[in-house]
Amino acid sequence: MRILEQVGPRRGTWLTFGAYLRSFDWLLFLAALAVSGFGLAMIYSATHADPGQGASLHYVRAQSIGLALGIVVAIVLSLIDYERYARWHKFIYAGMILLLVLTLIVGEGRSGAHRWIALPFFEVQSAEVSKVLIVVTLAAFLADGVELRNRFRFVLLAVGYVVIPIILVYLEPDLGTALVFAAVLMSMFLVWGIHWRHAVVLATAGALGALTVLRALPAMGVQVLKDYQLQRLMVFLNPEHDTSGWGYQLTQSRIAVASGMYTGKGFMEGTQTHLNFLPEHHTDFIFSVIGEELGFLGAMILLGLYLIMVWRMLRIAGRANSLYGSLIAAGVAGILVFQVFVNVGMTIGIMPVTGVPLPFVSFGSSSLVVFWMAVGILESVQVRSTIAGYSAGRVPLRR
Amino acid sequence: MVYLEPAKKHRPPSEDPSTGIRLGVFLGIVVVLFGIIVFRLWFLQVLSGDHYVSLANDNRVRTVSLEAPRGVVKDRDGEVLVENRAGLSVGVLPMDLKNGSDVLARLAGVLDVPYEDIKAKVDKAKQQDPYRVVVLAEDVSETPTVAYLKEHSLEFPGVRVQKSYLRSYPRGPFAAHILGYVGEISEDELNEERFRTLSAGAQVGKGGVESSYDSFLRGIDGRRQIEVDADGRPKQLLETDNPIPGNNLILTIDSQLQEAAEQAIVEGIERAHAGDFEEADAGVVVAMDPRTGEIMAMTSYPDYDPSVWVGGISEKNYEMLNDPAAKNPLFNRAANGLYPAASTFKTFVAATALREGLVGWDTLANCTGRYTVSDQMLRCWNIDGHGEVNLVEAIMESCDVFFYQLGEIFFQQEGPVLQEGVRRFGFGQTSGIDLPGESRGRVPDKDWKRQFGETDELKIWTPGDDVNLCIGQGYLLVTPLQLAVAYSAVANKGKVLVPHLGRQITDPSGSIIHEFQTEVRGELDLAGDTYAALYKGLEMVTSDPLGTAHEAWKGFPIAVAGKTGTAEKLPDDDYAWFVGYAPIDNPEIVVVALIEKGGHGSNVAAPVVRRVMEAYFRTGDTGLGDIEATE
Repeated sequence: MRILEQVGPRRGTWLTFGAYLRSFDWLLFLAALAVSGFGLAMIYSATHADPGQGASLHYVRAQSIGLALGIVVAIVLSLIDYERYARWHKFIYAGMILLLVLTLIVGEGRSGAHRWIALPFFEVQSAEVSKVLIVVTLAAFLADGVELRNRFRFVLLAVGYVVIPIILVYLEPDLGTALVFAAVLMSMFLVWGIHWRHAVVLATAGALGALTVLRALPAMGVQVLKDYQLQRLMVFLNPEHDTSGWGYQLTQSRIAVASGMYTGKGFMEGTQTHLNFLPEHHTDFIFSVIGEELGFLGAMILLGLYLIMVWRMLRIAGRANSLYGSLIAAGVAGILVFQVFVNVGMTIGIMPVTGVPLPFVSFGSSSLVVFWMAVGILESVQVRSTIAGYSAGRVPLRR
Repeated sequence: MVYLEPAKKHRPPSEDPSTGIRLGVFLGIVVVLFGIIVFRLWFLQVLSGDHYVSLANDNRVRTVSLEAPRGVVKDRDGEVLVENRAGLSVGVLPMDLKNGSDVLARLAGVLDVPYEDIKAKVDKAKQQDPYRVVVLAEDVSETPTVAYLKEHSLEFPGVRVQKSYLRSYPRGPFAAHILGYVGEISEDELNEERFRTLSAGAQVGKGGVESSYDSFLRGIDGRRQIEVDADGRPKQLLETDNPIPGNNLILTIDSQLQEAAEQAIVEGIERAHAGDFEEADAGVVVAMDPRTGEIMAMTSYPDYDPSVWVGGISEKNYEMLNDPAAKNPLFNRAANGLYPAASTFKTFVAATALREGLVGWDTLANCTGRYTVSDQMLRCWNIDGHGEVNLVEAIMESCDVFFYQLGEIFFQQEGPVLQEGVRRFGFGQTSGIDLPGESRGRVPDKDWKRQFGETDELKIWTPGDDVNLCIGQGYLLVTPLQLAVAYSAVANKGKVLVPHLGRQITDPSGSIIHEFQTEVRGELDLAGDTYAALYKGLEMVTSDPLGTAHEAWKGFPIAVAGKTGTAEKLPDDDYAWFVGYAPIDNPEIVVVALIEKGGHGSNVAAPVVRRVMEAYFRTGDTGLGDIEATE
């Protein structure tokens, strides 16, 4: 069977099925699959006894469909050459901005928020989709301007590139995703090789900006953050003294996690979860269920799986045959780490409530499919880097 | 197959040496972030897990108290005097109370109680134990109150309706002072040793035998542990400790006699009213078995229906029970009322004089109807005088002058001979009856006067004090119960008994687990001829035509001994006393009767005792007619 074939006017190769399978990063794929399975099980545990949804499998079924869709999309994306996105990145970026603006206009959501776009068969949470879009476009923007990375004006331009979608998702309002975008920018800057002076300036500006938004502007009577957002942000410092629902939620979440002790109360045995002391137990607070039912041990296994994924992603970033691929990998790793840290941190009281789902685990098809899309794109980077490395004689394709 | 384009533009990062460093920094940040989470999880789950497990359990486990029914109180023949009925109580579980003040305000409206009261109660309970239901209203009506609460249960989170046992009194006010009542334990009581196992909200006996036999009557509450969800809805029964019902109390009371006594007081008051003592408004009867100390009847008039206490007494009712204008219906005059014993006391004075050898039964005194002590002229009740009387006749005719003279003799003795003598009968001390808060009474002596006399002059013990004491007046105060005990001691030839109302304790199935025995507190130590003299005098009170109660006992088929008394308690009208026992050769019953402001013992109090004796000996109406007052 033909493995590689030289074709076309330019120096390129044809990828055969066998080479694809051999160069595929199975560890990343299997870790993502394991975490997704973990998530399905926990969603089942958290929701099977919930009242009012008719079938006890309602959430699990929806999430399974999302998972299946996500895997199919991932495989398709792994076959598509990721370099194509770089060529189209301006259009993709424009499309993303359009999508976000459209969401603000026709989007649907609870209590005045605009988060969902209704498609004929399903609804899409545009902010989730934009996470993967910002990764492929920002990576292209930075890779194109790599020669300019010592120019602060270019750095500022890159910041502006991200600030526009940040403002749009913030208006939805979706503070969590806005912060995810910031995390993407930081991760890529790091791998891109931002000058350390620029990094210091940006970090200082960011800190000052946060202070302004949280303290100075409210003092002057300008509310950038809505009251409830501010309250959610600050409540984790003192949940017991909060009278809004968030203090209760955080206190109950902490009780749930901590009462799991070493090995947990057992799968489907969490009292905090099943007696409804813990609302939102299948979405943002799914980690509380894991902590309660599977204990420290279960939490360590999950975190271990995440760590494996991050390691594989950084490995892909290091071995990519283009800066573009490397930056994509860094961006995806940044999203994963940021969301895991913020989400888990929220349930155990060390991070504010920002409404970020736990990757691959929290209920929600949009988020699940988007993370699988990211896995697919990284597999594409991995496959192509491996084969390019082989064709350049650097890496043996067969071990 | 897919076409792979070659890498372009610039060196792939895999060949850039600084990429490795930057990815290393990235990995370092990741490790730090994950490390923070791991450390925090370790701290929460491993180091403080136990604490949070108990918090989680507090969340989900509710303990519901299962009230133990209190024991039943019956009379000596098994007639039920106090029992239980099922009622509904409304309470609040503080920890499930969300938006507490709104809910409590609404609840106050529904229960028609002041908001401040229940708010204060709930706030206090919240600090003590937010996981226990605070009962806010007992005996709440099913419709409309409970029905409304159930219908609007969503507006009343944390509000609980519970079944509870309420005391029920089938015979209304019957024997109210003996039975007492039940109420919520007070804060002071919570600190008492006997209530050590109880917590706030418990129902305990507050008066009468409900209080003195509380530890027998009270059962042990059970509890049920229930798993609830976040909205407080029960999900699963975890554990049940069944309540242990209280034991039953069988009283020494004979309901027929008690009823006769209660009617007799009413009749006695009517008799007083007919005899121009229109202010007569209260009375006492105590009937005691002089062989055993059992109280067979004890009634204090006016009485009240103890069911006013059930479910918490209203302020209006409470004021009514303690209203002096209504003669304090709550007050048990039999054990707590203090009165001058008047002439009924002469028996003990005579006994003491005989015992000390100061006089003989045949020592004579001349009664001219008046007598002078320390330049003060005193009268005999019979202003015409009794002429020459000996001790026996002096008792029979209740001659005051004879006892004035004894008073002067006692004054000349060294030491408080008189006081010590009468104290042997139990005066000036509690009788030890099984009722809470009994009065001691007072036998005044030199020391007492020195201590309590208001002026220097009043601190000195005078011959007049002994003289007054000899006719049961002056500073002497006795309870009707003390008189019953003292006459029982005379009747049974010397045994001072502890009177008691408790006869048996039976368990819920009815088997006897404790029987109360006769308890002898003291011996009179009188000589045989002393008893003979006393018996003779007391017997002649009813049998001799000159006896003060001769007319009151005319036609009564059984020989009765007794003594009349007419107590002066200025500014009131005289109080009428009679104490009698029968049959004279082997006394089975001692009856004390007192009608406040009723006038003369001979024609008002003696008929009351006669009615009780009629009931005891089942003689039927023995033809008691109108009686001329003597003393």
